Amino acid sequence: MHMTKKAAKAVSMFLSIIVLITVLAACGSNNNGNSGSSATDAPKDTEGTTNEGATNEGGEKSGIDTSKKVELQFYMLGDAPKDIASIQEQVNKMALEDLNATVKFNYTSWTDWDQKYKLLLGSGQQVDLIFTADWTQYQSYAKKGAFQALDKILPVAAPTLNSYVPADMWEAVKIDGQIYTVPATYKEYVTDGFVWREDLREKYNLPTPVDIATFEQYLDGIKKNEPTVTPLSMNSDVKTNLMDRFIGISHSPVGALPYGIGIDYATPNEVHSYWGSDEQVQDLTVMKRWQDNGYMVKNVLAVKDTLQDQITSGKAAAIIGDNPTRYNDMVIKIQATHPDWKLGYHPFPKTNGIATPVHPIHNGFAIPASSKNAERALAFYEKLVTDKRYNMLTQYGVEGKNYEVKDGYYSMIGDSNSNGFPREGMNGWAWRNPEYMLFDKNYDGVKAIFDELDKIQVPDKFTGFAEDYTPYQAERAALEQVEKQYLFPLNAGLVKNVEDGVKTFMEKAKQAGLEKIQAEYTKQWQAYVTEQGIE
Amino acid sequence: MKIKDDNYMKWFRLIAFIVILISTVACLFPFLLIISASFTQNEAIIRDGYHLIPTVFSFEGYATVFRFPKQVLQAYGVTTLTTVIGTTLGLFLMTMAGYVLQRKDFKYRNFFAFMIYFTTLFGGGLVPWYILMTKYLKLTDKLEVLILPGLMTPFLIILMKNFIRSAVPDEVIESAKIDGANDFTIYSRIVLQLSMPGIATVGLFLALHYWNDWFTSSLFINDTTKYQLQYYLYNVINAMSFVAQMGSGTGVSLGSDMPTESTKMAMSIIVTGPILFLYPFVQRYFVKGLTIGAVKG
Repeated sequence: MHMTKKAAKAVSMFLSIIVLITVLAACGSNNNGNSGSSATDAPKDTEGTTNEGATNEGGEKSGIDTSKKVELQFYMLGDAPKDIASIQEQVNKMALEDLNATVKFNYTSWTDWDQKYKLLLGSGQQVDLIFTADWTQYQSYAKKGAFQALDKILPVAAPTLNSYVPADMWEAVKIDGQIYTVPATYKEYVTDGFVWREDLREKYNLPTPVDIATFEQYLDGIKKNEPTVTPLSMNSDVKTNLMDRFIGISHSPVGALPYGIGIDYATPNEVHSYWGSDEQVQDLTVMKRWQDNGYMVKNVLAVKDTLQDQITSGKAAAIIGDNPTRYNDMVIKIQATHPDWKLGYHPFPKTNGIATPVHPIHNGFAIPASSKNAERALAFYEKLVTDKRYNMLTQYGVEGKNYEVKDGYYSMIGDSNSNGFPREGMNGWAWRNPEYMLFDKNYDGVKAIFDELDKIQVPDKFTGFAEDYTPYQAERAALEQVEKQYLFPLNAGLVKNVEDGVKTFMEKAKQAGLEKIQAEYTKQWQAYVTEQGIE
Repeated sequence: MKIKDDNYMKWFRLIAFIVILISTVACLFPFLLIISASFTQNEAIIRDGYHLIPTVFSFEGYATVFRFPKQVLQAYGVTTLTTVIGTTLGLFLMTMAGYVLQRKDFKYRNFFAFMIYFTTLFGGGLVPWYILMTKYLKLTDKLEVLILPGLMTPFLIILMKNFIRSAVPDEVIESAKIDGANDFTIYSRIVLQLSMPGIATVGLFLALHYWNDWFTSSLFINDTTKYQLQYYLYNVINAMSFVAQMGSGTGVSLGSDMPTESTKMAMSIIVTGPILFLYPFVQRYFVKGLTIGAVKG
């Protein structure tokens, strides 16, 4: 708010600003020198000189015009690793030779990244490559025309990449029949699974959790035998951390659906309302039982700790659902701090059969509409993915300085404090290339789980769907409030009479416009199912 | 007189003492809790909650913040630099503007006053501001961007103008003129000297603004070496909680363990430190300055 006034004032106080700028230009150049940023300016000068030599050699390979030197603006989420400047310099040396282009790696940082994302894409600022994912609203940005369609440029600018990515993946990322992002080809699973303290389970001879019934027996055993430990690790986000996962294992939904929509994986054409159904009342009765029996803490809606921290600190004994990678992280942490503890894991797919690898939309790079160098950007991205030199450098840093390879495993030199470029330090999940990938020895646990899931994998039917909520934006906001006020306490098992509670919630939700939302969502979903030929 | 007041004064003192004691404790308690938590092991905070005396003593919170001391110090440097330059320059410009705007013989006085006042009522909004800064002024990643926007705050200009008007009578200016002083001499030797309390007030506002600013960094700075202190620390906290949350949907893991709770507390202590020292020095002007603009006399 404050700053906007100043922007307008910049116009009104035009004269004084001009004076200011001249004064500050002098100050500014001094400041730059002081804070040691001259390192980032330096490469540009050297690029300028090597440039002329490079133009003659490079440029013929791909079918694009590389006669004019360009600087590509590359935007990533998160924080840059410490050594980014030297990595960028080395990448630029190669890129200048190959494509007569240099690249500037920009990072949004995790603070307010979604707002910055909006500004980057909305302000018309030059951005040539930007990270996309389902959780960064790739689908809705693509629908709004924030990205350039790549169908025509791909075969010309990046033929290798075009044939390297399987055709069905290109097909899967299409929005309204056009490709807007280059998907990652590394296959991973982020399916949920029960996590529990295996050492406690063995000690009291409790059943191994494989479904809700056995999980509940486990919780009960912990409650009876370990008075100081809370059986279930839970926090205030009862929607995602409790209900979505509970539904994920006790039913077989197509994904984590919003607005109380129910769609079964087996019958994606049929949409029903989970909210208000007998199913929901039964599920909430289970929640109430858990709360009454003391499996989760009374003030659960006020807890902010992460589920994982509660496990690794020994406060709680089980998580209803977490993904293999994070489970593995906990195992490593516990090995270091409490070697006498053990953790157990049971992925939901082994019970309900729905093992879906992440959708191609989950990790990718798009070229925003504001980019003037689409061809060069795509050619550069091709290098990042398919050229081993670029790929290894940007994923793992410099061999011998940042990492070394031991018995085929990745091994970091030094520790995360001293190392300036940890594994995947650039957050380059999107340009992982399975052929060149190196793994930490600790990651074997995850790979073992992935191998098991590979055997039973089925396609993800849900993530490709792009919900357009503009027709019910106001109702959506109102519903969110109602949900927090009336549904969360039910989820946490804090409402005395479940049936009455559901009735009240449904009344309020309907007042907020639930029916309109569900009807519109259903319409959009069915159109998607028909268009994609999903059965 | 002394005897007459005694009983009444005793009671008054007692009650006043109790009230002040309670409010002091109420003010200090959270602060003490933060200090204690910053020295507690993270695991202990999660397991046992906050205590006034650390259950398990540990320096890991501070260790994490100072894991890269170079970066923290750099951020300190940037903040100090922008605070000093911004405050000095801002004070200069705003006293000038305030002085000019309160001179009755300035022909376009009303016009300019209106233009400044107008912007407090109608702002362009975030997006136009962003576009102006990045596309037209091309200030991304420059230190200027951290200083420029705060230099001429309409509210502070109006405050300055009103202050000068009440502190410097027209007659003084007139007589100075008769004695042969030109406008700049009047400004520097009379107006500035007479409006010291006002300058201290505006100066403190400005210094606080620059010291606490993180939003500008967040929008326009990509280069980590130019992060302001507040933003640097805020970002570390955010990265931790975000990575923790994001892991559930993406399977991304950054592998390193971070003592979140104790680190947050350690950061609060580090950030509040310096401004605590500044406050007592300006405070007496601050109180006087705020009232002087409003009460005539």
